[in-house]
Amino acid sequence: MTSYLCGIDIGGTFTDCVVVDQAGTVITAKAPSTPGNFTNGMMAALTAAAEKLELSPEKLAQSITHLAHGTTVGTNAVVQKKGAKVGLITTRGHNDVIHIMRGSRGLSGRDVQKVVHFAESSKPDPIVPKRLIQGVSERVDCFGKIVVELNEEEVRQSIKRLVDQGVEAIAICFLWSFLQPLHERRVQQMVESMAPDLFVTCSSELIPKWGEYERTTAVALNAYIGPETTAYLRKVEEQLSQLGYSSPVQITQCAGGTIAIERAVKAPLLTLDSGPVSGVMGAKYIGEAMGYSNIITTDMGGTSFDVGVVFKGEPAFSFHSLVNQYEYFLPKVDIQAIGSGGGSKVWIDEVTGTLRVGPESAGAVPGPVCYQRGGRVATVTDADVVLGYLSPDHFASGTMQLDKAAAEAAIGEIADRLGMDLYECAAGIVKIADFQMADLIRKVTIQKGFDPRDFVLFAFGGAGPVHAGVFARELGVQKIIIPQRDTASVWCAFGSAAADILHISDQVDIMSSPFDPARLNAVIGNLKTQALEQLIEEGVQAEHQQFRFTFDMRHKGQIHEVEVEIDGDQIEAAQLEPLRTRFVVNYEQLYGKGASLPGAQLEIVAVRCRATAQTPKPHIPAAEVLTEKIPESAVRRPREVHWPDLGPKNDTPIYDGHQLVPGNQISGPAVLELEMTTVVLHPGQHLTVDAWGNFEIEL
Amino acid sequence: MPRISEMPDTLFDGVSQAYVPPEKLRISDRLKLHREWEQNIDPVTYEVIRHNLWNINEEHGATIQRISGSPIAMYALDLNPSLLTEDAEFIYFGPYMQYMSGVTDTQVKWILENRSENPGIQEGDMFLANDPWVGAAHQMDVMLICPVFHEGELFCWVTNCLHQYDIGGITPGSFCPAARDAFDEGILIPPVKIVENDVVRKDIEDLYLRSSRKPEMVALDFRAQLAGNISARERVLALIQRYGPRTVKGVMKQIINHAEKAFLNKMSKLPDGVWQERTYIEACRPGDRRTHRVILTVEKKGSTLSFYNEGSAPQDGAMNATYSGWRGSVMVAINELLCWDQYFAIGGALRHIKFDPSPGTFNCANFPASVSTAPVQAMEISLYPAYNAISKMIFPDPQMRKDIFCIGGTSQWPATIFRGIDQWGERYGYLLIDPIGGAIGAFSHADGINTGGQARTPICQLPNIEHTEQSFPLLFLYRKEIPDSGGAGKYRGGLSAESCFIPHNTELITQDTLSSGNALPTSPGMMGGYPSTTNQYQFLKKSNVLERMHAQNMPEDIGELEGKSVTLQLRQENFTQLPEDVYAVRWSGGGGFGDPMDRDPAEVQADLENFLISPNAANELYGVVLTADGEVDTALTEAKRSEVRRNRVNGGQPGHRSGKIILEAAEYLNVKQDENGSFWTCAKCDADLGDLKDNFKDHCQLEEKEISRSNPLIGDPIDFIDDQVVYRQFYCPGCGTLIENEVAIASDPILRDILLRM
Repeated sequence: MTSYLCGIDIGGTFTDCVVVDQAGTVITAKAPSTPGNFTNGMMAALTAAAEKLELSPEKLAQSITHLAHGTTVGTNAVVQKKGAKVGLITTRGHNDVIHIMRGSRGLSGRDVQKVVHFAESSKPDPIVPKRLIQGVSERVDCFGKIVVELNEEEVRQSIKRLVDQGVEAIAICFLWSFLQPLHERRVQQMVESMAPDLFVTCSSELIPKWGEYERTTAVALNAYIGPETTAYLRKVEEQLSQLGYSSPVQITQCAGGTIAIERAVKAPLLTLDSGPVSGVMGAKYIGEAMGYSNIITTDMGGTSFDVGVVFKGEPAFSFHSLVNQYEYFLPKVDIQAIGSGGGSKVWIDEVTGTLRVGPESAGAVPGPVCYQRGGRVATVTDADVVLGYLSPDHFASGTMQLDKAAAEAAIGEIADRLGMDLYECAAGIVKIADFQMADLIRKVTIQKGFDPRDFVLFAFGGAGPVHAGVFARELGVQKIIIPQRDTASVWCAFGSAAADILHISDQVDIMSSPFDPARLNAVIGNLKTQALEQLIEEGVQAEHQQFRFTFDMRHKGQIHEVEVEIDGDQIEAAQLEPLRTRFVVNYEQLYGKGASLPGAQLEIVAVRCRATAQTPKPHIPAAEVLTEKIPESAVRRPREVHWPDLGPKNDTPIYDGHQLVPGNQISGPAVLELEMTTVVLHPGQHLTVDAWGNFEIEL
Repeated sequence: MPRISEMPDTLFDGVSQAYVPPEKLRISDRLKLHREWEQNIDPVTYEVIRHNLWNINEEHGATIQRISGSPIAMYALDLNPSLLTEDAEFIYFGPYMQYMSGVTDTQVKWILENRSENPGIQEGDMFLANDPWVGAAHQMDVMLICPVFHEGELFCWVTNCLHQYDIGGITPGSFCPAARDAFDEGILIPPVKIVENDVVRKDIEDLYLRSSRKPEMVALDFRAQLAGNISARERVLALIQRYGPRTVKGVMKQIINHAEKAFLNKMSKLPDGVWQERTYIEACRPGDRRTHRVILTVEKKGSTLSFYNEGSAPQDGAMNATYSGWRGSVMVAINELLCWDQYFAIGGALRHIKFDPSPGTFNCANFPASVSTAPVQAMEISLYPAYNAISKMIFPDPQMRKDIFCIGGTSQWPATIFRGIDQWGERYGYLLIDPIGGAIGAFSHADGINTGGQARTPICQLPNIEHTEQSFPLLFLYRKEIPDSGGAGKYRGGLSAESCFIPHNTELITQDTLSSGNALPTSPGMMGGYPSTTNQYQFLKKSNVLERMHAQNMPEDIGELEGKSVTLQLRQENFTQLPEDVYAVRWSGGGGFGDPMDRDPAEVQADLENFLISPNAANELYGVVLTADGEVDTALTEAKRSEVRRNRVNGGQPGHRSGKIILEAAEYLNVKQDENGSFWTCAKCDADLGDLKDNFKDHCQLEEKEISRSNPLIGDPIDFIDDQVVYRQFYCPGCGTLIENEVAIASDPILRDILLRM
């Protein structure tokens, strides 16, 4: 019997489904997303895929051996601030941890002008109000030693008070619980017995890391999205099982792999932001097939601009995340939100009379002027329309008519005030936006030790390929790749399907050099045992199991930590010196040559285990025949486009991107229109459709 | 004491007197300046290069943080990079430690004047400097200053400043609260060429590191500063390469011109006048029980702002700052209140700002005064009054009014300097960094921000308790926000917090205190808003905390514990803390804005529910009466507030004088005009408050109270100072609205905080 791999990803508009058979043949299908009851859209997408395979949905479900699903339920709850009513139990005296935060009002990632303008820099609403935070007597010290035993009577009263106030979930975080989790586990048991219907989560189980603010925030957020995510996932599981799917449902997580649904219902936090991560994983996967190991991914939409990095075939990681100004611990593929996309507003600094773009965004509503949704402030997208980059008739496959006259009026008003010509002004706006993006991408790559010249750039998102031609050139990357094969959004589903099962677990054990291999091996052994249990529980065969171990290391007395991998699952005394060398290499890669202190004492802060189980991979067949001739059906009627270097060009070639075939080559100036995006090919640039159907632009 | 402008014969050369740059710099002919630039740059090129220059400066700061990796650079962000023109005007100044702005351009100007001939300023050079009389907040703030050349001409400067762990002096860490003078403090380095022709001069580096107790840390930080300058210099050169020197320089000049234009535009909307704020420092050396007056005056005449410190106390003990320290402090408030919209391009504003302090005062101290504590004391106390004074100045413009905020938390830093043997058996010394959690004072339209950080370091990081406990042998009993710590007001000041700890896994800790603002509040509110709490040290010897821990009954407040309470003095040295001795440190919060009787009762109720104020404060300070269920009793509240206002009027007989409103001068003060001239009136009831030439306070009902009535957390000043303190409240004689408050030493006259010239 044929068996299948399946990835299903829910986006804002569409739910995408990718099915891959043993031969690697890929089938994609999509259905409209159904907010309020996302499982309906999910089942519709699966049914659509079954139809393409000429199977019944039941037959398909029974034949799927591995189903990975990406959900945005948790992310939506956080963004819309509609999470559960959470109670928090913590160490007595430390109730205010998430209210005090860490000094800068959680401002990392925000525009610096807002940071210094105090009237605009207030703290976010707390996830848990003070009256729902209960401190109980207990204490552990920095050696993990219990200094004060848990006062269970106080715990009982606290749980009762929270239940009486109607909480829907309880989060538990004690100081130093990552070294000594006993007290947290005991409180969790007590909650489970006193209030069995509540969602309960404790920090040592979720994210046993050093730093109580970020750990408490993580566990509070986990509780905040817990009840809704859990209910949703259970429903998914139930419906799939009714169809006949029998393996564990795998859920896409933000660390770039999948976890079994049993883990996801306990740690829904791991699903936060998993959607964009799947895009990076998809890029990594296709990059591998194409022979690129260094990739900058850019996803530029109407309201957001996200950047990720794949270096030497591995996605760049972060262990510190940010949402609504809350900072929290979470191992995740690092995606930096650096701007506001095509919706960036254009404005004139009234006093100085200078032209400015962003960082304020018109958002999706009211959006750019040309969207005709009530937006009155010109945006970058309006400038794109004025220049003719975007076709008023073919935007989003013609599902949305753009009002070019309104865009011209809005940009024209700005041009008049600056004494510029309409097109000169529109081109100027686009140039400012493109150069800003180059500056910002540079910031998030160079500052992490990555030199853009060593990378290719993948451009996703509705607005990405419109602008990538310039910002990628400014950045100095080698080439631009615009992944094809249906739409970019399917890549997320593809990323899910391509992802391995992944469990990341940390144990903090702070030790100074010279290191004691026995102590390290004990920690490694402990982590391995736990991870192994998890994989066995999920039914992963021994031959598919893989374990990698890394240390978070730093100079003693300093802050920066870098991750250093060891060979195998043991460390011997003889490996300690090579370990120091690896640390220095990694440190200087990240922080710059000469940043390391020769001969300084080192610290290991944590040991990390990545347990993976490889899943069968979709195979991406390359076209055997490359065709230079551009199909007739790909050629659309030329139109007028205003190129900054050439001026108005009435006969700019326009192509239907979906009709192009591998081997086609196009020289700029030209515009390629696709279902969800538009590729702007500037004069002098050269585009090739490669053997996989992707567009490559040489710079 | 005369002002600098009144001392034409004195040489302000950065040796015995602080360096004050002359209008025209005396630069050797050996140095060629790049002085040609494009006047007409198209708006697109301008914006592209402007964004790039801002990013160059940001990347410069990020590079220092990456390479340094020290807690000072990463948590306290006690650093700042700058980009200046060839003649040392600020183009951009970073968003980190704001104090450092005032000391940067003076250093560069001094170098231009004093180093352009001998040893000369050449391509590939960098200068190291930390002399507070040339320009540094204190000795630990070490600058590395790099000229950028294009074809043999000095094109611009990139510089940075980074606080060092230890630079010598009698106290580890180089904050020396008991220093007699600068000779007890860290090494002083007037600008010296440490990099020559792109090579670090080993002899100079050795000299620099020799005085430090932590030479390896200082050496690494020096590498970080070096890399920061190099990255910024390379990127400026790349810009020149691409756009040409005339265009890049043209953009630099335009950024400053635009910022100047924005500043002038703001000035044009404000009336001329003089605004003044007064506060006090307590204890300038161990054993001192005096208060030391601090006066900050800002005068606006047309488009020019002048700042004075006349009337401030003479230099004394170990509480001083130099000219550039004081100037840097005032510039923080200028930057944040007047230049935030131009991304700190303060160079434009500076063309119209005069700093004219009186040498010999504690915040414009002459050599060799002790200045190592300046940033936590003399500079804070010079800075925070500037927020209130400038805020009052900009109030009349409805747009700028939104930018106002009252003095914020940690307006004096209650330092806890401690040392001993840590849990790992190693020697350590540290200063508890928790007060950086601060608070932001109330806005003119909203409450302040609880533990919102320190305004002078807009981005900083408070260490987690687990980080502090890992590094030092402490066990924190609590760190919590303190109800009532924010000043009461129509808009409440932000709350501050308190940290409380015992020694743990060590036999004892040796402690020093260094504080001020414990007797009288240094975060007074504004326009009727009340002060925040004072700083407070609480020390309980031989407490029962260990028994409580054993009994699984942890305290949530030091007040729950038994023991022998010891009043710590503000510069107490070498006292011992044993594991049963509990130490709690509270820092001051944000001041309130407007009369608390005007606060929406629903907000008062919400504050109670969120534990931000006490029931007592709700009743006493806000006049809100609650029902048994904790709901606001609207009728009783209205009645109580009316009674409070009636009592304030106390039979006063206000006059009424009709006229046309010509200015909203403050929350409760209008200026009206009739045929006889301009006069003050109450903005709420229109009562006549006297001719504009009068101090409106003289026409108010004055009530003098004990300072402890201004905030429920303020105690008796006698614990720390001998002077008598008074809390003055000025009520409208017509409606009883609280127009303004004053915290003062009783012998000081009523302050004239607003004098308008219109």
